[in-house]
Amino acid sequence: MLKIALLLVSGMVCVALVLNLWRLIQGPDIADRILALDTMYINSIALIIIFGMYMGSPLYFEAALLIAMLGFVSTAALCKYLLRGDIIE
Amino acid sequence: MEPIMALAVGLLYAAAIYMMLRRSIVKLVIGLMLLSNAANLLIFASAGMTRGAPPLIPEGAMAPEGLVADPLPQALILTAIVIAFGVLAFAVVLIHRAYEVVKADDLDQMKETDT
Amino acid sequence: MGLFWIPLLPLLGTVVPLLSSRFGRSFLALFTAIPPLLALLLLLQLAPSVFNGEVIYQSFDWIPLAGLSLTFRLDGLALLFALLILGIGLLVILYARYYLSAKDNMGLFYAYLILFMTAMLGIVLSGNLIQLWLFWELTSISSFLLISFWSHKSEARKGARMALTITGAGGLALLAGLLLVGKIVGSFDLSVVLASGDLLRQHAAYPVVLVLVLLGAFTKSAQFPFHFWLPHAMAAPTPVSAYLHSATMVKAGIFLMARFYPVLAGTELWFLIVSMTGLITLLLGAYVALFKHDLKGLLAYSTISHLGLITLLLGMNTQLSTVAAVFHIINHAIFKASLFMAAGIIDHESGTRDMRRLNGLWKYMPHTATLAMVAAASMAGVPLLNGFLSKEMFFAETLDQVTLGSLSWMVPVLATLGAVFSVAYSARFIHDVFFNGEPVDLPKTPHEPPRYMKVPVEILVALCLLLGIFPGVIVGPLLALASTSVLGGELPYYSLSIWHGFNLPLLMSFLAMLGGLIIYHNRRHLFRFQSQFPEPDAKLIFEWLVQRLVRLCSAIIDKLENGSLQRYVFLLLLAALVLMAGPMIDLNATLGHQSSMPVDTVSLIGALLLAAGAIATVILNRRRLVSLLTLSVVGLIVSLAFARFSAPDLALTQLSVEVVTMILLLLALFFLPQSTPKESNPRRLVRDLSLAGLIGGVIGTINYAMITRPLDSISGFFLENSKTGGGGTNVVNVILVDFRGMDTFGEVAVLGIAALGIFKLIVHMRLYMPSTDGNGLPWSPDRHPMMLAIVSQSLLPLALLVSVYIFLRGHNQPGGGFIAGLITSVAIIQQYIAHGVDWIKERLRINYQWMVASGLLIAGLTGIGSWFFGRPFLTSWFDYFSLPWVGKFELASAMVFDLGVYLTVVGATLLILANLGKLTTSHSPAAKENN
Repeated sequence: MLKIALLLVSGMVCVALVLNLWRLIQGPDIADRILALDTMYINSIALIIIFGMYMGSPLYFEAALLIAMLGFVSTAALCKYLLRGDIIE
Repeated sequence: MEPIMALAVGLLYAAAIYMMLRRSIVKLVIGLMLLSNAANLLIFASAGMTRGAPPLIPEGAMAPEGLVADPLPQALILTAIVIAFGVLAFAVVLIHRAYEVVKADDLDQMKETDT
Repeated sequence: MGLFWIPLLPLLGTVVPLLSSRFGRSFLALFTAIPPLLALLLLLQLAPSVFNGEVIYQSFDWIPLAGLSLTFRLDGLALLFALLILGIGLLVILYARYYLSAKDNMGLFYAYLILFMTAMLGIVLSGNLIQLWLFWELTSISSFLLISFWSHKSEARKGARMALTITGAGGLALLAGLLLVGKIVGSFDLSVVLASGDLLRQHAAYPVVLVLVLLGAFTKSAQFPFHFWLPHAMAAPTPVSAYLHSATMVKAGIFLMARFYPVLAGTELWFLIVSMTGLITLLLGAYVALFKHDLKGLLAYSTISHLGLITLLLGMNTQLSTVAAVFHIINHAIFKASLFMAAGIIDHESGTRDMRRLNGLWKYMPHTATLAMVAAASMAGVPLLNGFLSKEMFFAETLDQVTLGSLSWMVPVLATLGAVFSVAYSARFIHDVFFNGEPVDLPKTPHEPPRYMKVPVEILVALCLLLGIFPGVIVGPLLALASTSVLGGELPYYSLSIWHGFNLPLLMSFLAMLGGLIIYHNRRHLFRFQSQFPEPDAKLIFEWLVQRLVRLCSAIIDKLENGSLQRYVFLLLLAALVLMAGPMIDLNATLGHQSSMPVDTVSLIGALLLAAGAIATVILNRRRLVSLLTLSVVGLIVSLAFARFSAPDLALTQLSVEVVTMILLLLALFFLPQSTPKESNPRRLVRDLSLAGLIGGVIGTINYAMITRPLDSISGFFLENSKTGGGGTNVVNVILVDFRGMDTFGEVAVLGIAALGIFKLIVHMRLYMPSTDGNGLPWSPDRHPMMLAIVSQSLLPLALLVSVYIFLRGHNQPGGGFIAGLITSVAIIQQYIAHGVDWIKERLRINYQWMVASGLLIAGLTGIGSWFFGRPFLTSWFDYFSLPWVGKFELASAMVFDLGVYLTVVGATLLILANLGKLTTSHSPAAKENN
């Protein structure tokens, strides 16, 4: 039962990823694109955790942790770039 | 699954090489990044793809049970990723220095860079 | 003593003159002569067994896999040549001691001479084809050194260059020919080759082999059309001419032809090429020799002519002609060497070699004149001297052969014509120099040379006489022996007596003499006739050819390497494409036999995303930031792929590196132009696209072929021994820090070096900061947004905790020093971004270079530590400990190594990123250096 639910959810997350990419390519404004990238990161976290649950092994959760942290850092850096151009001042 | 992987690798390589052949300096950098990703994927795929069996020895056992993924290419790719980062950083700074001399984002003008 | 001492002694003797030049000239000559003398004695000691029909053989293995071994082989032909080389060499050493003036560097001259002797001995004594070629080239080089000995004279330099180029080119052809022979026969060993004559002659590649080998021989022996280098080599000191250009080096080509006679000769092609070349050379050399006014020039052309004679004899394909050829080799060496020495004496004593000015020297140097006259008479073929005997044999052979069918009568006629001119120029040599009036305007007053300068000439002339009067006794056995080894079998019947009765050859000799004297008497008319022809200067033609060649090569190079980086990359990739595609075309079945994996939807969508991201990067590349974002997407999908296909370590590493790369590019992008000008050339776009597409397609195919084939991996060892030998359950990490620790050490060293190099580059960077962003709007004045600062501050301890956790568990679970280091550096960079450089400066005072250095030091010391336990570098050790409250845990020395890796990664990454960031602040490295 859980497996079927996991399969469905992973399918939906994949659709979400595709839509994010679409927004990334399409988005008229740069802020739209950065948000799309950030959402892609979040979706990848979801995908990895679903994969871990599916496999029944906790190995990949650190990867999710890392994506969360590093995704935040990269989004912050991008926003700073938009704001000031010079990231480290 | 295999043809899809091969297709993806081939496409990445094509994109990388196209970027590297262009005239702009920044495109060269982007091409380098794509190239390192593509090469890592190539080696990774060639070693055989196994799902869900990472090369870890389970608790209490002395050797992995069953078929696990090949650890040696993974170690090599890890080294490659880190060194590619080092190379990329060096290339970026070097390209910036070259840009200072040529003052244009154009590799065709970079025939004489003796200052 | 072994056979190899014969060439080895002179090789060692090369240094003797250099070391003993302080002892004075006579002692120098004496010491120099000792090694060749010893070699000669050794040769004479080995001679009797060779006379008994034995072939002495000595071999040392050198590169057995390539069929190369150092082999020495002494048979009759080799014995003959070795005697000539060593004997005449010793005489030349004695002669040169008196010839060279006080300002010449005699030690160096002798060193070159002995080096040449070694090379020549190497050629004749070699038992291996490639070894023979090696010594062949060595003779070219040493003769270059000898000809250009008086390097202050430009004609010496030019002559030496010309000689080296021609003989070098011939040597290259010879190498090709010898390699072909070795391939056809299957071995480079001379004994094997000599036994496979039929195999070689019937092979399809025989004409090619023949032409190549003959090219080598003809260039060395100055046959037409390669004869022009020899007269220009006369710019060498006369001892060199006496040794090289009469007796030894030019005979090397003849030796090669004689050596390969049993293998290559006997066919129509051999006859045609060899005898026709020989005949033309014979006539050409003899004719031109008459008109030369320089003593050595006359002798040079005479040498060319006589070598043509020997070549003609070798080409006539009969056994008797071969015997005649060997006989003439001996005789020519003897009389020509003595003639050159005599010419050198005349030059030395009177200061000039011009025969128009040298007249009537009989009065001043009667003894020398007698010797020279006897030698010249031998050259002309006067009876009772050795030249007469071999000329007789030559005439007899030309009469007996039927090679040209019904036109065969031309050969004796032309031979007689050659002999006529030979007599004419010999007469000129004798008459014009020693008689014919008074000398005209000589720099020095001629007189007899020192006693010992004449001794070599005396010995050689005495040999001429003895050989002429008692040939059978003196040279009979040696001749028979040498001819046997050339013919490879039975000797025909021939007689060496000096009188064969009134027969046709005698008539021919008589006619030749008569004709020659008549021509000499009327030479004025001939000179007038000849002066109508312009004198072709071979030097000019040669220079012109060389310059044309150089210009052609420059034109080609300019096309390929015009300074454009794109051109180089394009050519490189094109070459890579060709090399890759070639074998793939030969591969018939791309799909291997591995069972294929079923497609799962998630991976399919992942691949689609990857493709879309890559294509988007390419299409959108004009806007920098957007392509950076799509690059991040590509990196993210790749790390998801790593996670999906069982590589958790790789996924973690890829994620971290992705973010660090993005920050790096953001930092650098700020200083690079924000948009690119549009590329102007659509043709170039098509070219680039097609090349990229082709390469992508080929690599995709290779990948597909590789994936679907089963593979034999060595990872079994690592999987078995990870826990028992390395003490960790994360096999990838154990491989990195334990089994392949040396590689990792190198890798972090590379990272450290890159970081230091970047640091140095950054110091001198000048910046162009844009004042508005890409859309033209001004930057925001808010330097450090407050929300970002607060959130980042609470992020730091968490990130460090995660980093330490991943570091500590790396040995047993996915993790390790690399990932932990990258996480730490990302966390610290985040602080830089959020708070700014000043804030960090107050709180974090770490010198990143010291961090890199300490990381490398720790890693190195861990490796060295294992030396103390008597193990090789970087052997790891692990054991189990137990602490109260914590329980049992396992500690491995690999963890200390990992600590070194961690520190290096953190230091290197921060060194790069922090300094790039500091460029725009007052803490930039450049500012610090200027203060």
